[in-house]
Amino acid sequence: MTRRELLALASTSTLVRANEAPTAPVAIARCASYDEDLDSILKTMFDQVGLDRMVANKTVAIKLNLTGSPSIRFQGKPLGSTHYTHPKTIGAMIAQLDRAGAKRIRLVESCAGTAGPLEEYMLDSGWNVRSLQSAATRAKLEFENTNALGKSKKYVRVKPSGKPYIFPAYELNSAYVGTDLFMSMAKLKNHATCGVTLSMKNCFGNTPASIYGDDAGVDEPNESPTKGRLAVCHFGKRAPSKVALPELDPQSSREPEYRMPRITAELVSARPIDIAFIDGVETVSGGEGPWIRGLRYIRPGVLLLGTNGVTTDAVATAVMGYDPMAAKGTKPFAKCDNTFKLAEALGVGTADLKRIEVRGLAIQQARFPFES
Amino acid sequence: MVFAMLLLTAAANWVPMRWTAADPASLAILKGTPVNCLLLEKAAVNPKTVEAATKSGIETMAVIGAGATEEQVQSASEMKLKGVVFEGDYAADAAARLRKVATDSGLLTIDLPPRSKMRFDAALPVVGTYEGVWPGIRVEEEGAAKAAPSGGPWIDTNSGFLRFVRAATDAPVWIGVRPPAGSAITAERYMQAISDAAIVGARWILALDEDLQRRLLAGEEPALKAWQRIVGLLSYFESHNDWRTMKPAGELAILQDVDSGALLSGGVLDMIAVKHTPVRPVPTHSLDPKSMQGTKMAVNVDPGALSDAQKQTLRTWTRSGGTLLNGPATWKFPAPQAGQITLSDADVKTLDDIWKEMNSMTGRRNLGVRLFNVSSMLSNFTESADRTTSVLQLVNYSGFPVENVTVHLLGKFKSAQLLAPGAPPKKVEAYEVEEGTGVDIDGVNVAATLLMER
Repeated sequence: MTRRELLALASTSTLVRANEAPTAPVAIARCASYDEDLDSILKTMFDQVGLDRMVANKTVAIKLNLTGSPSIRFQGKPLGSTHYTHPKTIGAMIAQLDRAGAKRIRLVESCAGTAGPLEEYMLDSGWNVRSLQSAATRAKLEFENTNALGKSKKYVRVKPSGKPYIFPAYELNSAYVGTDLFMSMAKLKNHATCGVTLSMKNCFGNTPASIYGDDAGVDEPNESPTKGRLAVCHFGKRAPSKVALPELDPQSSREPEYRMPRITAELVSARPIDIAFIDGVETVSGGEGPWIRGLRYIRPGVLLLGTNGVTTDAVATAVMGYDPMAAKGTKPFAKCDNTFKLAEALGVGTADLKRIEVRGLAIQQARFPFES
Repeated sequence: MVFAMLLLTAAANWVPMRWTAADPASLAILKGTPVNCLLLEKAAVNPKTVEAATKSGIETMAVIGAGATEEQVQSASEMKLKGVVFEGDYAADAAARLRKVATDSGLLTIDLPPRSKMRFDAALPVVGTYEGVWPGIRVEEEGAAKAAPSGGPWIDTNSGFLRFVRAATDAPVWIGVRPPAGSAITAERYMQAISDAAIVGARWILALDEDLQRRLLAGEEPALKAWQRIVGLLSYFESHNDWRTMKPAGELAILQDVDSGALLSGGVLDMIAVKHTPVRPVPTHSLDPKSMQGTKMAVNVDPGALSDAQKQTLRTWTRSGGTLLNGPATWKFPAPQAGQITLSDADVKTLDDIWKEMNSMTGRRNLGVRLFNVSSMLSNFTESADRTTSVLQLVNYSGFPVENVTVHLLGKFKSAQLLAPGAPPKKVEAYEVEEGTGVDIDGVNVAATLLMER
């Protein structure tokens, strides 16, 4: 980070916004296995954060975390047991939202390297899509691959609140905006670049590869993308398609440890998370997926639910044995900037544990150090 | 003449295994297994072993490498072996001379030459080669699986090559690749090697690595358990010989031949197999209206090889609705050089070009069957002559069981049955999907077969 950037981050106005950042309660539950009564556990967690009242007659878009190709597995284990959102938690969440009176439930994800149907990507992930479809009895269940236009007619531009860091606005598939509530359904994991990847970092994948992908069109979106977002987002080696607004400062750092936390913070500011769910029943430590060396399969046996991405992720980070307010240079933010502080500065939510009410299991009881 | 015909017919049911043990007592491990033809290596060629094998109903063939003498062939006759296997890179005149000596001595002859010297005569008892890749997922340093251009793990397989050979001959097809020396080989890897050939109707010449054979003959319990699993899978395929009579199904044809890369592994047919698109290999030299029946798309790797009549066949086919992807001259892979069994680096670039063009032609279209959650697997889709029965074979190369495989078949099927080694046949639900019929398979260990009835 340059001195100018440091000063900008630490400016008085930013600190004021951090102090004013909203808070929201976070529920933690013990869940040792995906074979437990997930319906009952989720119902309790919904009650603890007051979600039942929120979802009645609403459309809920659920952003899943299906990072990396389904063909890449860790030690041959099912994807949901390591680095993907687990299908059983999704089935239980659909059932819970359905019972709570949701009108429409839309599963969304930007599937790695394809604009094909999300249902087929799920089948390739070893999921039983028919079983998911039967989990909703009243609500209409929809699927959308947000890597391109999908079923929409046009992209929707969203802008971060406050002063953005990298991009002034983002073009997204309209599924993220044409919804009453937006849920990020994430996994409790480390991230090789950002330290942790939870409900907020999951939203990095909101960006369509058609516009932000390595093979995005120069002028217009490429509606058949086959690559990831490394060149545009991680490294800033090229601009997104011209339908999107370009970077604010092409001279700023090209380091992913600088860019990715900022882009994540901007995205959750531009499209705030209304419901954050984090699956830590079974997962991996040491990185976000099998392509990271040194990965370990672990079983923390916890679930987290909240109504603010920053507060929920802050508590989750504490459960992982880290200080969510840690500065760059301290794990989990050993090499990167702290995404939570950046989001906090945009007024998204607070990462200060003293300001976050934890319901259900206490952090101490749920703690599962990822570094051990 | 009649005797020769009988031998040819019998060879169709031979289940071959390489044999190096000199002690006739070692044959006891074959009791109750489908192995019924031993390829005796030099150390194992002795009258007692031949006699013991014959008494057990096992045929014996002497393996004779390049540089063999007429005396070796005559010796095989004197020891009353059924025949000889000429394995290796023989000079043409030497092979012909030794073959004549063998035939004059009443011996059956089987050739296992390099791929580049394979013959496809229907009158041969067996068409085979000793050259092949060792089937399985290629692992790079530190245990990471190598990724293929398609994004999935890179599966080393002989199945594409064997598909072509099966299309080019009516003779039984054997592949004699040996396990890699100096590495620990699990039972799963042997099972993958068996399945890799069996799903396309060929046979791998069973060959044990030195360590497993030593432990097996010493009666070590883990080795015996591994052996039971290996021969259990072999029995599974051999008890369904009717699957070998099925013909490749699906709407995509690949026109390729010996001189345009069909004898190389990792080529066009393997690339398509990784995508699990059912494919019918059509050797270019035998292209006729019948070979294109039922197909709707075709990739012609070497248009320059077509005769005028064949060009007319394709014109008629495209006028009736077929979509043809004609490759440019650069798509023609060179015929394999001596010792070459996989594509060169330059050829891989060509393959990538074909992949892109073919992908844009086929897209997500269902050309017979589409499979999901099968990145560590290969499959083969065949059907009976009357098209009432379809057979989908699956091999899992990952070493881990794969759960929840979904199959979408083109057209309506009224029933589905799942078969797997060591498990009773299981009726599975055939449900309606957009393309026709969907089936869910709970899990696949090494191999599984889906039988569909219309």
